[in-house]
Amino acid sequence: MTAPAIPGWPGVAASAALVALAALLAARARLGLTADMLVAAARALGQLVAVAAVLAVVFAHGGVPGSLAWIAVMVLIAGHVAARRARGLPRAPSVATLAVAVATVVTVATLVVSGVIDTRPHVLIPVAGMVVSGAMQATALTLTRLREEVETARPQIEARLSLGLDAAAAFAPHARTALRTAMLPAVDATKVVGLISLPGAMTGLILAGVEPLTAIRYQIVVMYMLLAAATLAAVTTARLARTALFDEAHRLHELPAPPSR
Amino acid sequence: MSQAGFVLEGVGLRRGGAQVLTGLSAHLPRGCCTLVTGPSGAGKSSLLRLLNRLAEPCAGRILLDGRPLDGYDPLSLRRRVALVAQQTVLLTGSVARELAVGCPTLDAERAAGLLERVGLGASFLSRSTEGLSGGQAQRLGLARALATDPEILLLDEPTSALDAAATGLVDDLLTAFVAGGGSAVLVSHRTAHTRRLAGHALVLRAGRLAETGDPAGLRYLGPS
Repeated sequence: MTAPAIPGWPGVAASAALVALAALLAARARLGLTADMLVAAARALGQLVAVAAVLAVVFAHGGVPGSLAWIAVMVLIAGHVAARRARGLPRAPSVATLAVAVATVVTVATLVVSGVIDTRPHVLIPVAGMVVSGAMQATALTLTRLREEVETARPQIEARLSLGLDAAAAFAPHARTALRTAMLPAVDATKVVGLISLPGAMTGLILAGVEPLTAIRYQIVVMYMLLAAATLAAVTTARLARTALFDEAHRLHELPAPPSR
Repeated sequence: MSQAGFVLEGVGLRRGGAQVLTGLSAHLPRGCCTLVTGPSGAGKSSLLRLLNRLAEPCAGRILLDGRPLDGYDPLSLRRRVALVAQQTVLLTGSVARELAVGCPTLDAERAAGLLERVGLGASFLSRSTEGLSGGQAQRLGLARALATDPEILLLDEPTSALDAAATGLVDDLLTAFVAGGGSAVLVSHRTAHTRRLAGHALVLRAGRLAETGDPAGLRYLGPS
């Protein structure tokens, strides 16, 4: 095993030259993104320093309660971010937050109960972070696609309703379409893992000096859990969104016009 | 004593932020065909959506046979009060499956009978819905609604895509439906030919009731 290849702060400062290069290119191409890129880079630095400082405290003193509190905050933020993709869908923030929460709790609990991971904060928090992130992407995609389906397929949905079908049956074909689209990235990522890119967990372990044949074991677990998290999040989102889209008389709510971009 | 059929009491409807119907009070009796007509944008189609409970009034109330519409189970109400929209939206790839959307237990014999009633013929039963003309799709939409065995038919311009022969056939079907104890609410611009089908009429203008009564006596419809 080799020593971990972790850059020092001078190395981090040097890597800022890449941000300067990117900002210069954006400015020359008049993309109007230069300020955004510089702010994003500065924000990333600030956020990561702050997160690392808090994580250090949680790792040292937080134990399981601290880990769970951290995970809860991640879930709340992820739900908020995912819901922004679906403005106008009724109760989108609560739907998204609950979907991310269900996916996270079921996936992480399964990993802990089956002994795949332990509950030390430095294991639980990063693993849950990956799960929350995967669930958030699937939730956002599902909400976006559901909104598009409701907008474009209202005549079909109402044609089924007018024939006496209930909301679940009238919405099922459209929920399936939305779910397929939302889950494809997770399925595709699982298919091509290692072939097109070396995924994050495996890359991190290899950079830290772990043998590739050992690193892939962690990555396999990560891919499987992300597949499960995305599926759980998407299915939960579709189920909860349906109850928010229809009223008790099986009528499809009117949606406000989509936000202008 | 409660009146049979639909009774609207000061009904208002908003859609997309706009007031579509305002203070609409009317009686749509059982046992006849009620013609609903008026200029474009008068709220005629919206009225049918209210009667099928696809839309909810923002004011007033609607009664069916003396009982508030929201007191009925919405799913069974929509089978009893079938809506045939102006634009037929086909939902499946085959005529047979299309007919069964609202009636999964529909057998082939009854399906063939429904197709005969709308003038498509039993041979359509084995056909795909791809390639159906607008008029054929419109008649399939009517047959699909009839499959739920409704008591009341809500028809939104049901002959807009039909030629004269097919229009006559749908007229005959409606006449027979009403003669058999059914009721119909027919939204139509084609007042000349629908007048003879209708025993009662409403004229809407800008979301309000402009006239109501015997079609023969309504100014909007002109002299018979």
